[in-house]
Amino acid sequence: MSVATQATVFLAALAFVWPFVGAIGVAAVPAPRSREVALWMAGLGCLLSVVVFMFPAMGGNASGWDDDPVQRAGRVMLAFGLLLLVLENGVMPDRLLRSLPHVCTALAGLACVAPEPAVGLGILEVALAWGVFVFTRPAGQAKTGWGLMRTGSVGTMLVLSGLLLPQGSTVCGLMMACGLVILTGLAPFGQFWRDENDSFLFLPFAGASILLAMRLRGHGGMAFEMALVAAGLVSVWLTACAGRSRDRQRLFRTFPSALALMAVGVEADVAALLFLCGWCLAGGNRSTRGWAVNVLACFPPGAPFVGCLLLLSVMTDWSWSVAVLTVCGILAAVLRAVPDREAARLFWPEDMAGRVACSVLTVMGFLVPLAMMLGAF
Amino acid sequence: MTLVAILVPLVALCVVARGVGFLLLTGVVTALAMLLDGLTPLQEAGASLALLFAVAPPVFLTRYQHDATHERSGTAVPFFALGLMVLLLLGCGRAGSTLFPAGLCAMVAGLVTVVCRQSMVWQWAGLLTCIEGVLLSAVLGRQPVVLGVAALAGVVVVLLGGMCIHRIMPRVVAAHSPARQSRRTKPATGGKDT
Repeated sequence: MSVATQATVFLAALAFVWPFVGAIGVAAVPAPRSREVALWMAGLGCLLSVVVFMFPAMGGNASGWDDDPVQRAGRVMLAFGLLLLVLENGVMPDRLLRSLPHVCTALAGLACVAPEPAVGLGILEVALAWGVFVFTRPAGQAKTGWGLMRTGSVGTMLVLSGLLLPQGSTVCGLMMACGLVILTGLAPFGQFWRDENDSFLFLPFAGASILLAMRLRGHGGMAFEMALVAAGLVSVWLTACAGRSRDRQRLFRTFPSALALMAVGVEADVAALLFLCGWCLAGGNRSTRGWAVNVLACFPPGAPFVGCLLLLSVMTDWSWSVAVLTVCGILAAVLRAVPDREAARLFWPEDMAGRVACSVLTVMGFLVPLAMMLGAF
Repeated sequence: MTLVAILVPLVALCVVARGVGFLLLTGVVTALAMLLDGLTPLQEAGASLALLFAVAPPVFLTRYQHDATHERSGTAVPFFALGLMVLLLLGCGRAGSTLFPAGLCAMVAGLVTVVCRQSMVWQWAGLLTCIEGVLLSAVLGRQPVVLGVAALAGVVVVLLGGMCIHRIMPRVVAAHSPARQSRRTKPATGGKDT
């Protein structure tokens, strides 16, 4: 094994371990300094994931760890999502809570690369358990924690039983699609998102579920893909129907993940990656901010806008009628559901986190299609 | 495939209809169905896990008072589960599988329990029935990876469910010292409000 190969293997391993190191470091230092340490750790994690994407370790397939370029790029998105989570939150006194996003991102990254999708599901279940344990430690949270645990476990069980059925059968595809929709927390189907803190756990968790969906496609077959597209379409149209009312903003928050699931269904993996980028950097509880609204509604420039174009170009080959329905759904959702027009008009945000997010999204929107044209995916 | 494997969905239906009392029976029948299929290490591991997940929760629940949550869900829930099982059978038949999907039928019964019942203990029992079903299906289908993942999910559900129940439900134990008892029940009432 040459030195270069050894170096790439070492870097790939380091990129997996790094968020865990970050979690330990953040939990170990005293609270006032923790934010600074977390920023450094998350920033270095982003750098590492980008380096691993550009110089992949060869021979990974031989050892059973599945690693294709799309999954590697997905881990870059997850790493940037972690950086943004750290940037926009202040100093947190609770040790476990402030290390939680690092742990969840690390487990999500491991879940995407596990040798079998079932193992990935197990890792996601561990992430869910740890997150629920950390959230529900304060008094009065037990019932909320049980709700999260119950919904997540139901999703895992559905996907697992789909994996047990014969490959490519209708029942198998439907079961796996239902499970994945619940794991992603797609708005009318999943019941995640009850608390502000939830985004620490569920941004990486839902991102990893989307990446896992790409790998389950081989087992699910046609019914799986059609069910994913149908679920995404229903979610997009329901977002459009729900309109602008306050209590229905939950639907608008998961707009990019609905589009990402549709992209997975029509095998437009690069479009799914771009939506994943939008989800990691603008999803969750950020939907009240102007720049995040812009990103969620797929306004240009930004990764989700490019993702929309890619998705529609692939979808017209898949089915014309579904493509027309999707375009109408997206337009209706943008016209009817985008909240607070005044805030959304502001392009360059004033806070640091928003600026980082906007620049990363714009750069990704240019770089990912460029990498696709150069043959990286 | 044995007759015992066909009994598993029926006992799981009893969990849907009557509650956590039938969980133990489900576990025993599931373990028997696994062991009658053969005595390889995979089957022994599956049977012991099924027994563990079925025995631990009822034993744990004896330390707590009876869950008196008022159920609003009607009597139609078991029939809903039965209908879903029939749909699953038809789907598997169309896919060309001649085997009776006993484990998956039990899983469907557990899912219906989780979704349709309101009391937390009942939902816990449903989730564990789900896991028993997936364990059985993984053992009968000779899939050790899925068995391992289901076991992990089972451990997580047992531990976290037990933790939530410990914080929500009142204890049975007689008060040794009144001060400690009142302090211990305080977070429980807080948990009920959410």
